[in-house]
Amino acid sequence: MKARTFSFRRVTSVEEALAAFASCEGEARFLAGGQSLLPALNLRLDAPDLLIDISRVEGMRGVSVSSSGLRIGALTRHVEVLRSPLVAEHASLLSRAAPFVAHPAIRNLGTIGGSLALADPAAEFPTCILALNASLEIAGANGIRTVRADDYFRALYETDIGPGELLTAILIPPPSHGQRVHFDELARRRGDYAIVGLAVNAVIHDSNVKEIRLAFSSVGPIPTRAKTAEAQLIGTFLGAEGIASAQAALANDLSPDGTDEVSSETRMHLARVLLGRSLNALLREDK
Amino acid sequence: MDITGTYRISARREVVWAALNDPETLARCIPGCKELDAKSPEEMAAKVALKIGPVSATFAGTVRFEDIVAPAGYTLVGQGNGGLAGFAKGRAVVRLTDEGTDTILTYDAKADLAGKIASLGSRLIQSTTRKLADQFFAKFAETLGIASAVSDQSETADAADQEAHST
Repeated sequence: MKARTFSFRRVTSVEEALAAFASCEGEARFLAGGQSLLPALNLRLDAPDLLIDISRVEGMRGVSVSSSGLRIGALTRHVEVLRSPLVAEHASLLSRAAPFVAHPAIRNLGTIGGSLALADPAAEFPTCILALNASLEIAGANGIRTVRADDYFRALYETDIGPGELLTAILIPPPSHGQRVHFDELARRRGDYAIVGLAVNAVIHDSNVKEIRLAFSSVGPIPTRAKTAEAQLIGTFLGAEGIASAQAALANDLSPDGTDEVSSETRMHLARVLLGRSLNALLREDK
Repeated sequence: MDITGTYRISARREVVWAALNDPETLARCIPGCKELDAKSPEEMAAKVALKIGPVSATFAGTVRFEDIVAPAGYTLVGQGNGGLAGFAKGRAVVRLTDEGTDTILTYDAKADLAGKIASLGSRLIQSTTRKLADQFFAKFAETLGIASAVSDQSETADAADQEAHST
């Protein structure tokens, strides 16, 4: 199948992109890597009047580092996140998660901003930015604003980005001393939507958990932090006992949906399995 | 798969019941409702435009009331054709009970999809149904002039589903 007829406009600046959206009388969509939008158009699940191609907007692609942390342009492709030495050094959670994002052909074109703007509940990068306590930079008619990842995800496929606004960058705070990260997910086949995924960002000194953020994918309409399990772990010695009580605490944090393929109970069980594996991996790394 | 929810509405049961039977109120509350025309007291023709993530489709279909027990509840049966996107149908058993001067509304909904939205969207059908139900009842409470409705929702897998996964 082919997409329904639409107008196409390529822009080269954020201002031009916002103006094109504002002046469109029908439905407009921003096109970045096109790995979700173009299949939807070709399947005719969506039929906008105008596509605004932002892929050549200057200053929205690439990774840079400053004293305030890492800045990843929204147009940075998954493969660039995967291979970036700066990301590996300053936000290695993303480097670890990137191989789980779909397949190589999709990673070559898909962008981190596109993934975060779509906010699929099974996607990898949304959980990572939540675990990393990152901020998102959003451009709109009133200029640029930033929103914390904790406040960014609103509902199923709904983010803090308003109509006509554009996600321009992801800002990740510098790693703390003793930072340990881990990413893992369970899927039927590599590259499928995760049954459950987990991004862990912790600060651990001598096996003592100083800070920890646990962000799960696929357990609800938005990426979900397991705050009870986090509280259970903070200030404790990371060991078999602590891990078991954190796993038990997940019952307070998650109430995953069941589907025809995976029941709610199975998903909950797998979330506990994943948490146990991930915390044990941190424990091994700490030794 | 059943999706259930409970809302407390600060209005008398007769008021809530009347609103639940008023096409104009329903048209205002159904998410994305473009048209709702009463064809008979029990049946309405509806046009609903939805955008959820990558899917944006307009569904044309019908909404019918069945098992009407005024003012205690009814079953809403809806079906819609989203053209190339596919076909959606669902039914919701809606019950109203008194609690003082408030009304407790509970629903038990089932939704089925067919076509492309089914193959692409089945993993999210529960989240989607709940999101739409939330939007409907939030707007419904607002339309009745009440600031907020308390929602207490849960979902239960039906027996067949549990059996399928216990083996």
